[in-house]
Formats: sequence, structure tokens, C-alpha cells
Amino acid sequence: MKKNTLFLTLKIFSATGGIEKVCRIVGKVLYENTLINSTRVLVCSMYDQQTDANDNKYFPSEIFRGYKKNRLRFIFSSIRKGFNQDVILLSHINLLLVGWMIKKLKPSVKLVMLAHGIEVWGELGWVKKTMLKSCDLVLPVSKFTADKIISGHQFDANNCKVLNNCLDPFMPIGNEFLGNQDVRKKYGYREDDKVIFTLCRLSSKERYKGYDKVIQALANLKSHQNNIKYLLAGSYDKEEKKYLDDLISELHLENEVKITGFIDDSELVSHFAMADLYIMPSMKEGFGIVFIEAMFYGVPVIGGNKDGSVDALMNGELGLLVNPEDVNEIENAIQKSLLNNQSRFTERSKMINNFGYEQYKQKLETILLN
Amino acid sequence: MCRIAGIVNFELRIEEMEKNVNHMCDLQKHGGPDSSGIYTSEEKNVVLGNRRLSLLDMSDSGQMPMQYCDRYYITYNGEIYNFKSLKNELISLGHQFKNETDTEVILAGYAQWGVLVFSKLKGMYAFALWDSKERELFLVRDVMGIKPLYYGVQNDNLYFASEIRAFEGIEVLSEENKSWPIFMMAYGHLPEPITTYQKIKPLLSGCFLKYSLSNKSISIQSYSHLSFSNQIEVVDSAHYEHKHAIENSVKSHLIADAPIGVFLSGGLDSGVIASVASKYKETELNTLSIYFDEPEFSEKKYQDILIKQLNCKHHQLLLKEEDFHNSFESILQSMDLPSCDGINTWFISRYAKEIGLKAVLSGLGGDELYGGYPSFKRIELALLIQQMPDFLKSIGKASKSKKLNRMSYLKLDGIQGIYLFLRGHFTPHDIAHYLGTYEQEIWTILNDEPNVYSLDVVEGKNKASWMEFNLYMKNQLLRDSDVMSMIHGVEIRVPFLDEETVRLAYKTTPQIKFSGSRPKQFLIDMFKNDMPTEIWDRPKMGFSFPFSKWLTNSSFVKDKTNIDNKNLSSYYNKFINGNLHWSQLMSLIILNQRGLN
Repeated sequence: MKKNTLFLTLKIFSATGGIEKVCRIVGKVLYENTLINSTRVLVCSMYDQQTDANDNKYFPSEIFRGYKKNRLRFIFSSIRKGFNQDVILLSHINLLLVGWMIKKLKPSVKLVMLAHGIEVWGELGWVKKTMLKSCDLVLPVSKFTADKIISGHQFDANNCKVLNNCLDPFMPIGNEFLGNQDVRKKYGYREDDKVIFTLCRLSSKERYKGYDKVIQALANLKSHQNNIKYLLAGSYDKEEKKYLDDLISELHLENEVKITGFIDDSELVSHFAMADLYIMPSMKEGFGIVFIEAMFYGVPVIGGNKDGSVDALMNGELGLLVNPEDVNEIENAIQKSLLNNQSRFTERSKMINNFGYEQYKQKLETILLN
Repeated sequence: MCRIAGIVNFELRIEEMEKNVNHMCDLQKHGGPDSSGIYTSEEKNVVLGNRRLSLLDMSDSGQMPMQYCDRYYITYNGEIYNFKSLKNELISLGHQFKNETDTEVILAGYAQWGVLVFSKLKGMYAFALWDSKERELFLVRDVMGIKPLYYGVQNDNLYFASEIRAFEGIEVLSEENKSWPIFMMAYGHLPEPITTYQKIKPLLSGCFLKYSLSNKSISIQSYSHLSFSNQIEVVDSAHYEHKHAIENSVKSHLIADAPIGVFLSGGLDSGVIASVASKYKETELNTLSIYFDEPEFSEKKYQDILIKQLNCKHHQLLLKEEDFHNSFESILQSMDLPSCDGINTWFISRYAKEIGLKAVLSGLGGDELYGGYPSFKRIELALLIQQMPDFLKSIGKASKSKKLNRMSYLKLDGIQGIYLFLRGHFTPHDIAHYLGTYEQEIWTILNDEPNVYSLDVVEGKNKASWMEFNLYMKNQLLRDSDVMSMIHGVEIRVPFLDEETVRLAYKTTPQIKFSGSRPKQFLIDMFKNDMPTEIWDRPKMGFSFPFSKWLTNSSFVKDKTNIDNKNLSSYYNKFINGNLHWSQLMSLIILNQRGLN
């Protein structure tokens, strides 16, 4: 008997955020499962166009349906398809209504929802809470998110299984960039400069990634160590850029801090490879895929201890956890990390053993299909 | 080009493992007549074996299994056509090479890029790569599925080989797959992932199997796949790009340090390959062809026209019926997995060997990519009937017409139903009767496997292309080509299946690539100025032999079928009376040969 899975998503290919990354990987897992087991999968996206899946590396576009923002068509088509499914996997809480309707019409279907971060942390109305309870399983990306769901929404802990995010299996190893000085030269860094790096969206509306606290910590560090440089990468909005420029100027850190703006995926590896430290003392990270990506390239990491980053850093086993609101703690952690002359790759294999694609695949297959 | 085998085992003593691997290699000796080699890992639970047919760097430095940096080891079967450019890239990244083989490039590439190197390799290959430091073994197969690789897992022990016959002595994997005769009778071959053994499976194309010995975990991943898209919509640029890709592909497929030729059937596809090859081959091009006394099958007329135009050294063989009768039994024994076809490849490969060639280029793939089969016309009707209520599909059940008879196959969902309607051999009703089982059981088994995803979003003729490419070509043509050529120690190369060419075809709209009044008009338009009109302006014959006549006259077949088995002899009589296709009879002969009546 074939087991059919319908994977419903908002976006997969038309955006580049963490949730989309997870969806692409989940799609790959489900596709690969069809190659060796009697399973079938269909991946649907509410916002992507069909052509967005062209040339993607994760799964054949034949198992993908893009509804090009046509919400009604997406909903009706998903419900219709739902009748033939054994598992409905929702990539986001905003798809709960569709999943709930399918479950009402076909109660034997296994309804599973991925939970990432802030989208499930806040208060939910009673409608959403009721629909959430119709899920047979919720898969939060971190223990932090799981706790929020269990305590915040009174969701049965037995039906909540943490599924940490994983490394993208198509990430280049980056051997060719090790020891390559080109990117350092591009930013005018000297060989003995210590480069700390943050890669995230710089948004005035969110502002929870903690980079402003890092800048403040840097001002303190500058007085006794003047070779620390901070490279802050990622797309930004005008307001946030102005806020950061003002902060930098106020703290006289024009020579120490550089804001690059958007960095293309093809340039990411070279940036990670030249960094001495990755830091993101965030407050609202669901998991923080970027931490495991940095560690994949051998970069030591510092994360915040008040969100899902705790999972990505394995409770501090893989990197330093700091109170993201405490500038002094951030400052000390930077100093400690930069002083540590351990090999770049000390914790890499432990990280891969926990957050590798194969481990993720095995867990997801066991949860969904067994 | 070689044959490979290997074992990962945590229980057996090393001597026993090596003995097993040597035996597995010996069973595939025909595919690697030049030398053999074995590698045993330091911790003594991985053994890799190889039988080598040398085509590149024929010196001892190309000996296999090969190592790199005393860390990476490989046993490899295949040809990487872009190995020179990859090598240059790797040299610029600081890698050093000891020999001129493509094998070493794979190893260095893995050292540099990890598993991402697999998608950079362009060619046909199947290999096992052992990373002794990470204690990881990878089995890898090319994206088009040209080179075979089978594996079986029992407890935590892994066995792999290029051919099914290599598993003969592996007791723990010896359980027979009871369903294989059903697939054989329905398809005329065993579609992937079916084999004659319950626990032995083919590694699927574009996939790798990773075995991490530290935690004894096995993961199968897809590193590359093919998908349709309509990105190429302009005829002129489509022509230019396709022609350029085919020319480049043929050029790269001519790389060899051993004698190489082109097989000329007299048809369009091999004509295209030969005319392009004659342009690029630096030395005189060898071409070879077969013709018959039977005029309705002989393509000699067309072969002669093409030979006249090409600047080549041509070899022509008149294949006589007598030779067929003398060889038929060995042909049946040459088969690896059962197949109703492959006889033609057996003869042409034997001929290639006789005239001293080690590799031959073939036009295989052209029909699948450019619409050379009748299915491209018939698929729309088949899809329409598939939508009808089941009872309507059964109305032809009692009919003598094979087509009406097979209409019941359209009760199966998806592309398998269409395939079996268009290309199936026996109906579930006949299979059940022949094998003495219930028809419902046959339906259930054929419905469950192969597990093919829905092609709902794929346009009609692209569906036909997908079906011919994935179900017919990969499971029948490529497997037959590989097995029947390697049995003679000859390599068949397939330039139409170069990755760039295939991807281009997958990106081109059906309206362009399947346009025109003739089948493969698009391909004709690309190359008609390069070859005589008679070659492209002619009725299609396919590469067929006078099998019907020869099998009718075969005393071997007569003896085989006139045994105490009413079923088989009644089908034989049907064949003699012209009511059964020769390929259907072949399927039954093969069942009989393997002890099933």
C-alpha cells in the first residue's frame, strides 16, 4: 500500500529565508523516501509559481505545484488532494486552516505541522488554538519553541517532537576558500585583524538579532584591542541602516564596523571562511540555521541564551551562549572566543552528527512515515 | 570501463571477504578482461574489487582499485568525459595527479568538493568510493543510469556489484524475488527497482548510497535529477543549442587511448553520431554495421549511402541465420537480469571485438529525446482512455488484438498503465493463467511497483518522452546495451545521453522538439545538411533483426518449448501461427530457461 504525503507550504523557492530553506530540505527528504519506499509526495506552495521550481536541486518539479498567490485555488485544491493522503504536513501555522479542514473531512489523515519560531510563540486566538489541537503532531525546530507551544497553547507534550533544523546537503565544503585572503583584502582587513561576522536580515521592525549590542560591545573592546573588525552582512531597510550608522558614528567605530548589505549565496562560503568568529546574540531565533552553517565552515560561534539558538549551540557545547541583553557578557565572550586558539574545526563533527542532513532525514522519516 | 564489486562486512574474516569479492569479480570477468585488483581497508571490514577494461591510460598506473592521498580509494566503472577540465580546475586548486585517468580526477574531486563532486561528473559511471579517514563508503551511479550498480544489505553488511550474476555465491542475499516472473511477463524486462532477488536492488540513477561505518547507518540520497521545464521556447536558439550540445558530446565521447568506432544502423540517430564523429575524429573513424540476407530487415542500402559520404574505415558484417542459431544459447547465458531483447547488441558488440574495437558510439537516446517512437502519437489517446470507467477498458479482454487486449492495463493509474498499454507483453489475465495465480494478485503487484510519481503537470508528448526515457530506455535498452557489450569486453557509449544534451531537451518546449510531420523532425532539421537526404527522408525501421523468422526456424526454441508444459507449447504454437510477437516468446523462453514454466 502506498503512503501519500501532501506537503503544504507558503513559499519554497521564491524566498531565501530560513523557513524556505527548511521546506526545500523537507521536500528533498520526502522525495528521496519515494525512491526507496512505497511512498508518494506532492509539494504545494501557495505563493510560488510553478516555474519557481525549475532547475532546483532538491526534488523534481513534477512533484511540485505552485499556486502563484492564488490562495483560494490553493486551499480548494489542497482539500481535494487531501482526501487521497495519509499524511498532511504543514510548513507553517498560517496553513493550519487548510490542514484542519482536511482533518475534519478525513479524520484518519495524520496532520503534522512544522513550528519554527516567533510565528508560534505569541498569543493565539481560540480558533487557531482549537485548530492546533487537531494536529496529530507538531514538530518545533527547537526545545525553546516546543516549550512555548506546550506551555503557551496547552498543547499535549506527547504530540510535540523537537526536530532541529539541519545543514543544507548542497552546501559547498569550501575547501578552496580556506586560507584565501581575497575577501579580507576586499574589505581592507589586515592579516592580523580578527574579523567577527554576523549574517542576518537588518530590519527596523524586528531588531532582535542583537547586532546593535555587538557594536556596543565592540566599543568597549576597542579600548584594549584595536584589531577587532565587525562585518555585518544581510539586506537592510533604510531606517535600520540609519539607526546603525548613527550608532557606529556615536561610538566612533567607523573603522571597525562594516555593513555590507545583501550578500549573494555564492559569496557566503568565502565570507564564512575568512571570519574568525560568528556572533548573533539574538532574542527571537527559532533555531538559527546560520549558526550551524558557520560551524560547518569551522567558524566558532556565539549565540543568545534566550531563544532557539540554545539548541543550535547544543546548550553551549558547540559555542558560547550569552545573555543577549548584557553587553558586558557579549564583550567577554568575544574576547574569550578570539583568545581561544583551538583549531577551527574542533566541534565540527559533533555538530554534523547532530545537525547533518542524514540525521535529519532519518528523524523526519521515522516521525512522519513509520 | 570495468566491472566492480565489493563488500562491507563486520562478521566475516578478511580472507573470506577477499575470497568473496574475488569470486564476485571473476563472475564479471568478461567486462574487465585486461586486469583485476582488490583493496582491503586497514580495519579489515571493507573490500573493493575491480576487473578492468582499459580505455584511458592503459599503463599500470591506471590500475584499480585506485587510491588518492592514502585516504580515498575507488573501484570504478565508467567514463567521465569532462575529466580534463575538472583536472585543470583541481590542479589550480593545488591537487597533484599521478596518472592520466579520469578515475584519479574523481578521487581528487571528492577530496576537494565532497559529495558535491558527483554532480560535476559528466559521463557514465558507477563506482564505490571509500574515505578511510571518515570511514564512509559511497556507492554512486550516473544521472542517466547508463552504468549499472546493484547492492544488497543484510544486517549491517553491504554487498555491491555491476551485475546481478556477481551475487551468485552470496548466501545471505540469495532469497528469490517471487514476483519477478510477473514483471518479466508484463514488461519484457524487470523495471527498476525489481531484480530476481528479494534483497538486491539497483542503485537508482543520480543517487548515491552513503554507508557510515562509525554508526553503521545507510542513507540513499539523490544528488541530481531531471525535470521538464519550458525554458527554451525559440526555435532558432533551440536548434543552435541542441546542435552545439550534440556536437560537443560526440566530440568528448571520442576520447580514448584504445580503438573506438561508431555503430551505423542506417538510421537517423546513428547517422547523426557518425557524421559528427567523422568531423572531429583526429584519426580515421571506424564505423561498423550489420546487414542481413532478409531484404525487409537489411538496412545495407542506407548504410552504404552514409559510408560513401563519410570519410571512415567501414566494417560490414553479413549476419546469417545460421550464426544466430549457433549463438542463441550463449546469448541467453550472456543475459544478466532477464530481458526479452539485447540480441542485436550482443552481435554488434561481438563484431566490434572481432575487428579490434574497444568502444563503440551508439545513437541510443535519440528516439526518447526527440520523439522517435509511435507512443508520441498514441499517448494522447491512451491518456483519454485512461480517464474512462474501468469496465470500458476491459472490453477488449477477450479480443485477439494485442492492442485491445492490453487496454485493460489502462486501469492502472499513472504512467505505468500507459506504458503497459503501449508496450506491455502479456495481460494480467494471461500472466495469472500462465503462472497459476490469481489475476488480482498480478494487478496488486503491478500497481505497487515501480513507484513512479504523478506526471499530471507534464504535457502529453513530454509524458511519452519521460516514459520512454525512464521506463523503456533505462530498464531495457541501457541495461541490454551494457550487459551485452560488456560480455564481449566492449564499451558502448551513448552521446545523446550526455547530460547537457538531455537537460536541453528537458528544457525545450514539446512544441519545438516534437514539431513537424515526421518523427524527430527537430533532429532532422538540425543535421539534414550534414548527411544524405536518403538517411533522414526514409521510413523508420529501428534496429531490428529478422528474429521472428529465425526463432521460428530455431530447433533449440522448438525443443525448449515442446516440453511437458501445455502452456508454453500452446504459446509456441501461437507464435508459429503468427499470433504471438517474437519478444513475447522470448520472455517465455527466458522464464523457462530460469526454471519457470
